[in-house]
Amino acid sequence: MHLNICHYKGKEQESQKGIKNRSMALQMSMELPQKGELVKQGAEARIYRRTFLGKPTIVKERFPKLYRHPILDEKLTHRRTVQEVRSILRCRKAGILAPVVYFVDYASHCIFLEDIVGSITVRDHIAAIHLARENREAHLGQLAQKMGQILARMHDEDVVHGDLTTSNMLLKSSAESGEIDLVLIDFGLSYISALPEDKGVDMYVLEKAFLSTHPNTEAMFEKLLKSYAASSKKSLAVIKKLDEVRLRGRKRSMVG
Amino acid sequence: MMHLSQQLELFPEFTVTQLLFKDVKNAVELRKNAVDGLIKGALINPTMIVDPFQVLIATNKAVHLHKIGKMKTKSLYSEIIFNLLPTNGISEAFKRFGISDRDECVLVVLVHEGEDAQLLADVVAMVAGQQIPVEDVSSLTDSAKIKKLYKVPPQECGSLLDAVVCRMATKDVMQN
Repeated sequence: MHLNICHYKGKEQESQKGIKNRSMALQMSMELPQKGELVKQGAEARIYRRTFLGKPTIVKERFPKLYRHPILDEKLTHRRTVQEVRSILRCRKAGILAPVVYFVDYASHCIFLEDIVGSITVRDHIAAIHLARENREAHLGQLAQKMGQILARMHDEDVVHGDLTTSNMLLKSSAESGEIDLVLIDFGLSYISALPEDKGVDMYVLEKAFLSTHPNTEAMFEKLLKSYAASSKKSLAVIKKLDEVRLRGRKRSMVG
Repeated sequence: MMHLSQQLELFPEFTVTQLLFKDVKNAVELRKNAVDGLIKGALINPTMIVDPFQVLIATNKAVHLHKIGKMKTKSLYSEIIFNLLPTNGISEAFKRFGISDRDECVLVVLVHEGEDAQLLADVVAMVAGQQIPVEDVSSLTDSAKIKKLYKVPPQECGSLLDAVVCRMATKDVMQN
């Protein structure tokens, strides 16, 4: 008589569960080397770093969300993938830096993008500036100026990013000029709109994210808006809408 | 070693090899061989190619679509040529990127399993021309023609290769 045979139903179920978990774990560990090095696991997507056709590449995989209805999930995921890729090309055509798209796998919702090697997020950069002793204001001012300019150009192209945060902006040193380039990423929630309201909301999202992530940067954000206003031909209406949206926020008195 | 081989990371059973020839005297014969299926590869007009990477991108996409049964053309090789075009018209792809009877330069793209020295030797023997390093393709590139075809505006950021690759990768979802 084998020692492994379980006479009790409970134990049998348990061992079966064990087998299931193990095979799942095996599957996951077998998948990973093929996909590359996992860099980030977000709520929406997994980011991998790998080499693709000899070039350093980022793979953004929008995985299935089991908590959603499958048909809805497929539609939403597909749409986000398509929007991301369309907005990137649209921005690049207008001279706004975004990672080059190498390949899109619509079956698994994976986007293969240029890896901007040697870049850091604006978020990390601002944090680093705060830690440094000298020239804080000057550095932050320069950055704000640049950000305002780039966002103005983006909105003039009628591209609304949809998820503007300092983590979705990268800084890298330009190959030719040695200057700092600002690269926009993560266009999954982006869409095309000429409406000042949509652009105003875009800036509002950035403001909220900015001020909550980087304390005491109100002055810097003001500089950003000034630079935006100066660089965009359509900025007046947008800033007006931004002011309106600010009044609409939580815990605001709606006394008209 | 003048040819360039790259194993497809996503499809490791496939390797892509590119060979470049100039002073080609038998373009007519080569075209016929390609049409008859005697060459396990695509014949491309190298003046429309900016960099070998562009060809790899087109080939990777072709192999991917072939594997999931979603190619737009009838063969892997015609699919490679179709993928090079920034728009979705099939006959235009061959007109622009395929070789014509009068062409003197040819880029051959082979898709094969692992190392296949015999295949490469066969192709070199078939072409009546001088083989040159694939990297030299940039000296044959007609940038003005490419900029016009791909509609690259002057303010677009990045290199011409970036512009070309990005369009190739996104053309399925762009209105053209």
